Amino acid sequence: MNQYLALLKRELRSILKEKTIVFAIMVQFFVASFSSIILVGIMAFYDPSSISENSQVNVRVGVVSETGNPLPDYLRDGNLRVSSFSDASRAEAAFLLGQVDAVMIVPENRSDVVDMKLILPELDARKTVIFMMLDEPLKRYENHLRQVNGVQLNYADSGGKPHTTYEFLYSVIVPILMLFPALIAGSIVIDTVSEEMENKTFDTLMSAPVSLGQVFMSKISAAVLTVVIQVIMWVGLLRLNSITVLNPALVILLAVIIATTISFVTGIIALYFKDRERAQFVYSIVLVTAVGGSYFLDPSPFGLISRLAAGDPGINMLYVVPYLVPLVTMGVLFLRFSRRLVFARN
Amino acid sequence: MRTILSISKREITRLRTRFSGRSRLIVLAVVALTIISSYVIYHQDLVISKGLYTVGVTPDGPPVADQRFSVVKVERQAGYDLLRQGAIDLYLDGEEIVSRGDDRSQYAAGALQKSMAKQDLIRISNEYEVDRAFPLRVEVSYLKLLGNDGATETALTDTGALTGREEILSEAQPPAAAGAEEPAVTSMTTPSAAIAEMPGEGSPEQAPSAGSETDDVVRRQLAAFADSNQLPEFKAEFVSENEVIIPSLMQPPVPLAQIIITFLYVVPVFFVSLFFTSGFTEEKINRKLIVLLSAPVTRLQVILGKMLPYFAYSVVIIIAITLALGGDLLLGVAIFVPVMLFIFSIYLMVALTYRTFKDQTFFSVLALSVVTVYLVGPAMFVGVNDLSYISPLTLAVEMYRGESFSVGEYFLAETPLLLIFGQSLFVGTRVLNEEYLMGFKPLPTKVAQALYFIIDRNHLSTSVFFLSLFMVPVVFMVQLSSIALISNLPALFTLWFLVVISVVVEELAKSAGIIILLRHGIVKSWPDILKLSLLSALGFLIGEKLLLYLALSVLSESVFISAIFGSGLLVMPLILHMVTTFLVCLITARLGIRYFPLAVLVGTVIHTMYNLLVIGAVA
Repeated sequence: MNQYLALLKRELRSILKEKTIVFAIMVQFFVASFSSIILVGIMAFYDPSSISENSQVNVRVGVVSETGNPLPDYLRDGNLRVSSFSDASRAEAAFLLGQVDAVMIVPENRSDVVDMKLILPELDARKTVIFMMLDEPLKRYENHLRQVNGVQLNYADSGGKPHTTYEFLYSVIVPILMLFPALIAGSIVIDTVSEEMENKTFDTLMSAPVSLGQVFMSKISAAVLTVVIQVIMWVGLLRLNSITVLNPALVILLAVIIATTISFVTGIIALYFKDRERAQFVYSIVLVTAVGGSYFLDPSPFGLISRLAAGDPGINMLYVVPYLVPLVTMGVLFLRFSRRLVFARN
Repeated sequence: MRTILSISKREITRLRTRFSGRSRLIVLAVVALTIISSYVIYHQDLVISKGLYTVGVTPDGPPVADQRFSVVKVERQAGYDLLRQGAIDLYLDGEEIVSRGDDRSQYAAGALQKSMAKQDLIRISNEYEVDRAFPLRVEVSYLKLLGNDGATETALTDTGALTGREEILSEAQPPAAAGAEEPAVTSMTTPSAAIAEMPGEGSPEQAPSAGSETDDVVRRQLAAFADSNQLPEFKAEFVSENEVIIPSLMQPPVPLAQIIITFLYVVPVFFVSLFFTSGFTEEKINRKLIVLLSAPVTRLQVILGKMLPYFAYSVVIIIAITLALGGDLLLGVAIFVPVMLFIFSIYLMVALTYRTFKDQTFFSVLALSVVTVYLVGPAMFVGVNDLSYISPLTLAVEMYRGESFSVGEYFLAETPLLLIFGQSLFVGTRVLNEEYLMGFKPLPTKVAQALYFIIDRNHLSTSVFFLSLFMVPVVFMVQLSSIALISNLPALFTLWFLVVISVVVEELAKSAGIIILLRHGIVKSWPDILKLSLLSALGFLIGEKLLLYLALSVLSESVFISAIFGSGLLVMPLILHMVTTFLVCLITARLGIRYFPLAVLVGTVIHTMYNLLVIGAVA
């Protein structure tokens, strides 16, 4: 046991010395930033209200319509400034002079169909924003026209809260942050094992009074330990950003089980190929396949983490337990064959 | 050239011996498995947030087709009980969505309402004729404003900033040969002209067959809408000026295309980079590289030779992916080759600088994520913000949408990448020697050492001048990447941090060369420092202005641009750059290298104050 601890310390020291963990966190920070950029991008498209709330967008719309048309009211409800015009040419003139940002011309309604004209400024990045702000009022007006036509659309009233951010956070960002450390742990195992193999320091280690199993277990434990630290850190950091990971114990447990399984697999790969080049390559493609293949599981590991973290009432401990099977299998395979693999020539 | 080829051949032989015998079979098997499984997965419906919510439904209730919801059939009373206990997130009582007050239930309610409303649209489209079910058609036209400031207008050449939705709308184009009785939608120049031609006689009563042209638009949009569970198409065709929009069929574009394109092109290169860096490191450790250098070959030939096989592979990948996605081959190559070269230049630096595998892995992963951020980040805002033209991916997105981009836009996106590749080759040839390769030192020392090798001691002034000049693209990239990091901060601090980080990076870049010379005792007296500071400032300023000139030809003036570049003046910035560089170097020279951070801080404070004054004046 003492020997194992000494070896573990040696591994951890090398990880700390090379600032591995610092880099790992930097990488994940970048990934998180990257995701938040995507989020901003998505938000801008899905949730126009966030644009008008976050920035002082002041959109003025000129409307040409019959009296009694509800469209101007819908537009006002959507935080747009509305000026009514008696005819199209005046509205157009106001638009060309920049007095209004957009013009909507509603023809006199002679049939079921209303062919509305919408004039937007060319060459203006703001037109996307204008568009997004017009979206909700236009939909309301459309439903109004449907009712006039005797068509009832169900579920048209907006209920609940805008869900895009919530879904994105829990089904993309949280699982990425929980599983990324595991991917890196796999790489760490390959790097430390193949480094000792290629630098021949492994032979020196073999002459020391430690068992082969202890050497490998120390390497894997060190990698898994970095995962534990990172995952706990992310749960805490997310909490600071008022994103609560529910079922934290199960989420962390699952992330660590997956990380340990990956570490055993990469251990086998590294011992088989013995050089970093092939081992990392095989690991990368095996990983791609595994990630893709896991999609066929229901729930997939990714989805399970997201549902646990979001507090899905239908998910519990029983969903996590099956992940022990690959863990134990890989652990047994690794311990059984590591000695043989080390001395085999490939 | 022949030398380069023979070095390449040697590299390929090395790889082949690596993958010989049993391991080759295993690797091939794994690769084959991956290809087969990715093919299978590609043909699946990809649902993000699968089963995220649990919803109870009355036994006779409407079906919930959305895969985000796990559905439990449950009687009314039991359903309400489950909802109260928190065992389900929602209860769908007939056509009423019942939720609790907590956030999760409310989010679920929002999601279910949207999803059911969508299902209901398809229902009404089946039950009623198109005119009654979709009575509102909005025809969009774009007009130029009178007497707008010409500067921004000429800079823009886009076809429509609504790019995101064009993928849907492009399908909504009226057919080229429009019905004879339907002049309304086709050629419309001014809105008043169009109003004169407003349909009325074209309305369904008079044209009872599936007449109205906008009806076709509705049908087409409806078809696209009905199978929008698929990944969004980004191969849109021609996009014209006039678009017809059906409000309830408008779908928010998911910027997935940008991400997918990036990963398709970048991930395969990640695999080769592994061989590239590993090969370099291995030959570094077993000293074969040193032996190779003693042969009659130039260092550039060594680098290019080792890079060539992987570069060739990357080009093949680019061609294959572009063809598979149906893009323009020439444009695809033109857009992505510089990106690949940029990635290779990063990996070259990693391979030259690091000796341990762990470091290499991390720097490779870090580099990959930085590159992804750099590519995808700005491209998320295609059509929303002109800054998106910083990323070559924006060009790719436009290419796949069949839109055009200008030469200026191309050069803005690609020039920094190509410059950095060229510089990395130059740096590579300077540091490819035994002393640098075999040293095992921390990163700052390695960088300092590299800078020392770069500077030509016989031509100090010229070296310092060009060093600063060529630092500009690197500085630019670092500043851009910092935008990604800053986006995590509250909006209030964003601009402040951007200004400060930009300035720190600039000060470091300008003074680095001179500091190295000071450390090695090559430059001592303050007049020399002053002279070199002036040259360094001049070089940096020229680089900065060239880049600004390029940027302004594409981008309209924005606060971010002025935060990065400062103002358009010439003499003041030169004096500023010179003064700060001189101060940084002088303080370091007097107090010692340990005080370099302090010196940079002093320079930063002065520089920041100046920049804020300028931004204040501009705003």
